[in-house]
Amino acid sequence: MIEKLVPFQVIVPVLGAMSLLIVQHVAHKLVRAMALLWSLIGLAITAIIAINFDWSTGGSFETLVTIPWAENLGLEFGFGYDSISLCLVMLTSLMMPLITIASWSAVVKRIAEFHIWLLMLEAAMIGVFLATDIIFFYVCFEFTLIPMFFLIGIWGSSRRLQAAKMFFLYTFAGSMITLVGIIYVAWFHANLHGGEWTFGIKALTASAQQMSYHEQFWVMMAFLAGFAPKVPLFPVHTWLPLAHTEAPMAGSVDLAAVLLKLGTYGILRFALPMCPLAAIVIAPYITVLAIIGILYTALICWVQSDIKKLVAYSSVSHMGFCVMGMFAFNATGVAGSVTYMINHGLSTGALFICIGMMYERFHTRDMNQMSGLIRAMPIWGGFTVFFTLASVGLPGLNGFISEFLCLVGAFTARDVLGPPYAIVAGIGMIFAAMYLLYMVGRVVFGPLKLPSTEQTDKGGHVIAPAAKIADLTPREIGTLIPLAVLCLYLGLYPKPLLQSLAAPIETLTRPVQTALEQQRAERANLEKDASNTNNPIETIDATDTIDAAMKFNVTPDNTMTIHTLSADATRFATPVASDTMTIQSVATHHIAGVSP
Amino acid sequence: MTTLAPWISWFPALAAVLCGVCCFKPTLRNYAAPICVIGIFAAFISSLLVINGMDTHGTLHATAFEWIVVGDFVANFSYFIDPLTMIMLMVVTGIGTLVAIYAAGYMRGDRGYARFFFGVSLFVFAMLTLVLADNLVLLYLGWEGVGLCSYLLIGYYYDKPSAVAAAKKAFIVNRIGDLGFAAGIFFCYTTFGTVTMSGDGGIIEQARGMLESGYPVSTATLWIPFLLMLGAFGKSAQLPLYVWLPDAMEGPTPVSALIHAATMVTAGVYMIARMLPVFELSPYALPTVACVGGATAIFAATIALCQYDIKRIYAYSTVSQLGYMFIGVGALSTAGGVFHLFTHAFFKALLFLTAGSVMHALAGQLDLRKMSGLRHKMPVTCWLMFVGCLALAGFPFLAGFYSKDMILAAALQQGLDGHNTMFVVLAIVGLVTALLTAYYTFRLWFRVFMGPEQFEMGEDHHGDDGDTGHDDAHGHAGENVGGPHEMPWLMNGPLVVLALGALLAGVLGQHWIVDNVSHSTAAPHVAHGAHGADHGDGHHGSLLFGMDLHLAMQLISGCIALLGILIAWYFHLQNRAAADRWATRLSGVVTLLENKWYVDEIYDAVIVSPLRALARGFWWIDDKIINGVVMVIAAIPPLLGRAAQPWQRGQLQGYGLTMAAGIAILAFLIIVSVL
Repeated sequence: MIEKLVPFQVIVPVLGAMSLLIVQHVAHKLVRAMALLWSLIGLAITAIIAINFDWSTGGSFETLVTIPWAENLGLEFGFGYDSISLCLVMLTSLMMPLITIASWSAVVKRIAEFHIWLLMLEAAMIGVFLATDIIFFYVCFEFTLIPMFFLIGIWGSSRRLQAAKMFFLYTFAGSMITLVGIIYVAWFHANLHGGEWTFGIKALTASAQQMSYHEQFWVMMAFLAGFAPKVPLFPVHTWLPLAHTEAPMAGSVDLAAVLLKLGTYGILRFALPMCPLAAIVIAPYITVLAIIGILYTALICWVQSDIKKLVAYSSVSHMGFCVMGMFAFNATGVAGSVTYMINHGLSTGALFICIGMMYERFHTRDMNQMSGLIRAMPIWGGFTVFFTLASVGLPGLNGFISEFLCLVGAFTARDVLGPPYAIVAGIGMIFAAMYLLYMVGRVVFGPLKLPSTEQTDKGGHVIAPAAKIADLTPREIGTLIPLAVLCLYLGLYPKPLLQSLAAPIETLTRPVQTALEQQRAERANLEKDASNTNNPIETIDATDTIDAAMKFNVTPDNTMTIHTLSADATRFATPVASDTMTIQSVATHHIAGVSP
Repeated sequence: MTTLAPWISWFPALAAVLCGVCCFKPTLRNYAAPICVIGIFAAFISSLLVINGMDTHGTLHATAFEWIVVGDFVANFSYFIDPLTMIMLMVVTGIGTLVAIYAAGYMRGDRGYARFFFGVSLFVFAMLTLVLADNLVLLYLGWEGVGLCSYLLIGYYYDKPSAVAAAKKAFIVNRIGDLGFAAGIFFCYTTFGTVTMSGDGGIIEQARGMLESGYPVSTATLWIPFLLMLGAFGKSAQLPLYVWLPDAMEGPTPVSALIHAATMVTAGVYMIARMLPVFELSPYALPTVACVGGATAIFAATIALCQYDIKRIYAYSTVSQLGYMFIGVGALSTAGGVFHLFTHAFFKALLFLTAGSVMHALAGQLDLRKMSGLRHKMPVTCWLMFVGCLALAGFPFLAGFYSKDMILAAALQQGLDGHNTMFVVLAIVGLVTALLTAYYTFRLWFRVFMGPEQFEMGEDHHGDDGDTGHDDAHGHAGENVGGPHEMPWLMNGPLVVLALGALLAGVLGQHWIVDNVSHSTAAPHVAHGAHGADHGDGHHGSLLFGMDLHLAMQLISGCIALLGILIAWYFHLQNRAAADRWATRLSGVVTLLENKWYVDEIYDAVIVSPLRALARGFWWIDDKIINGVVMVIAAIPPLLGRAAQPWQRGQLQGYGLTMAAGIAILAFLIIVSVL
């Protein structure tokens, strides 16, 4: 029964958008109320599903409901979820009513359209997390671009057109390549299964692991081309500050809270399990990029005068931790990474709401024009400081759990990352304190200085007199309280969340772990070989390696694949033996690979 | 009553929540102080009950709830109480209660009254979590939590830019240390496979085991203490991370007394004492701790000589005294270090609070040069501070005398028995510092309370934010017209208790502390080498001047304290003109010390400014180069389109011409190839 509800998480917002289309010319109040109602219905459905979810096991991502699409092509709308998906869906559906309420006074033009796009965006984002069919996933993934494009382009501030264009180009160009990768994986699967095409994620994942290293590498690159700009990973991050700065508050919140997570979710759901060998090889490189992103953008944050840009750059920096944790491949790191997606969504989303509330009052984001706002708006100041601290990663609040686990993960990731990665990334914790406290010290604390709220036309005539600055209204406080409570709750009692994430994470990282263990076994064999120097090359016990490779690689043309795999694996294994020994072993592997 | 154990720290947490509610309801504001006092006092009482319910020298494990559990990484809200924890519990909740009572009067009428007590309650929660934590991650939570409260309370007068800057500096400098600490935790996890400290399989037991089976020096065990140490140096304001503590005096004085003198800054000493077996694993760790402590002790004492701001003098004095504690733990006399921590908490809290009273009375005046002879106006404060000064100076039979002596004797013993010159030098450095301490302490006291009565009121009353908008008239505003006044007994009462502590904590506390520390995780691994202090009056190897080391040290340091006081008496009471003459004669040195060795300026030039320049550079790169490349790439398709545009004008003759030209070229090529 509950399963039947799952597609409605996507359908309800779409229905809502349609209904708004009908009433759009009626009173604004009705439009807003309906938008809120629909988002609340969505939240209620998610809540029902979440309550009935078995949190102790974490779910299995089986397809629960299928809506036929183009069956002869193997296409269908498959819905399913595990705890990772469900948490992100919950985040999305929670943010939706909050930003709808928060936008009530912020959006004054084309209100119905605005809410239509927001609802469509919600539908697409939830679709991404619930899709068990990769083409369905891809459609939703791509579709998020369209509402976002309009949200930025119509309701954004002065440079909105450039921002919208850049956002679209960056993410669209990359995801075209991702589509190629997806189709290749599906084609590979079809080849493997006698021409039977399917796009089911589980089936594709199982088959994709049998690709050779080179295939995996290029598929990985294709995935990253689409997902890395979304995260965003240095150096393809420059769309984000602009898009964030120019987007309306609701857009910024959705961007920070959910849209960025599509990238990391994609990597976790597809790139890692489908291309384990490639993942191991590129992990250090990606992590280095992530760490550069952490430190480099953190420093950039520190010299911003535009408060929204500062928080936007801080997202890039924070998401670096998320990527690093993911590429540690171990339970702690990936758990940190997944909780980072949720926690960053909560705290940075809330920060953007706070900034939006301030912007609504002063119509400026320039930190030089304001100071000591806590005196004028103590409640706003309190919330801003709170969410800043959550973002800084203060223990006891949510950000710490995930940041700490990501660092522990990277620190303990054997053969992939290691202490230097974690420690260098840890410098980001210092920088985060520097730029966020700089922001708070500048805007929230200090002597009171209010920006002029007088609006003048070009001739200097006053159009609107200076408004009286009022602290947050109960409506605004109401939007922030759920986020604050969640930040505190997840900071003090993350145990249920971590527990339910454990099993799905295990499933997703198992291929990588298996590959890693295999490499370790091979390396141990090499060491054994190296110590048995008396043995002639022909008698080197390479059967273990081949067995392991066979277990892992059961392709029809296994001789060729084993050949490639062994060679590659040896190449990327740390050279423990002397150079000559390694070469000998490689030679042996070649021989061994061909002989059966 | 040991069932209360997991909840000790949650009483102040509850108080913090209630105070937080009071912040937003002006009508409830005045309830914040009693709530906070009751919260901390409840923690005090429950600690007593728990300790009472435990066996002598017993230990206790308690878990409040599970926290982070991922795979084999387990960090819960679990607590550990051993004799060392007991001492810390007593210090934190006891001094905390007294300071909160004092602050109830001191902060009266301030617009942030409730916010202040929110911060204090939260601080006590974090500090208790720190001392009770059974695993390093929870300890880290307390560690960063006290840092946060310190940040919030230093920046309490948030519309003073200097206060905001000081708060930020404190947090960031601490974060630098915390990174080291976090890395230490990671290494502990990889080395010991757990982050739990106590119990079987805990880090401390494992480290003990390693010590007993010889010295297995591995890279990890070599590094762990150095990383943890970095955290301790940040939190306890040691070289090179001490710079935040003097600036932290921007906060209200009770905060300086509680957080920046008595409790939080001693967290580093506590942590090293707690993790002593781990520090002993690395042969270089504890000597390094001792050296840094010694260097900090004398360095900060020199700065204190030439400062004019009362609170800053005490701040540098705190840095210097913390240095002593580090010498103590570094010389394997954890009992000495913890003993000094204990006595210092009393007399330094007393000194800060009496300084606060002076500041309160003089409308925020802190400049030593602008006050003199206040003993008639504020007799009680005068003599309370006198007791505190004597204790800090190490005057015989007062608190500081015993604890300082214990540390110096231990260092000397370590040096003489182990033929280790470094520790002998450290003991001498400690003695010189003791002289400086006695001098600058009494310089302050003689200047403020003795001599001709003269004073200049400060610009604003403390607590008045210097803003026209403050909404509550200050309680003492009327009295200020008549000049300085004695404090009400609500504020002096806690001070009397502290003064009793400063008088008696040394005599009465010594045995209790030594006994407790030797039965805690801080007890040094006895196997290597003699170390005197921990077995009290037991036999010692070395003699000094034919006397027992302790006795000799007591004699020497007593004389030195008297000498320092005498010098201060001569220059700052008897013949103040002579002091000024000497100051002009040594103007170079004085300027250097007045400017605190220019350390802030050096840090700014060497670290902050280059980093900022780098940040601006990065921003430029991001905005111009990376974005530029993207823009260029994005511009290629339209450019291609533009290039092809002229050919697509829609004019038939143009297409015709192109077509004809194409056919001609093709034809030409075909003809050429055929021929």
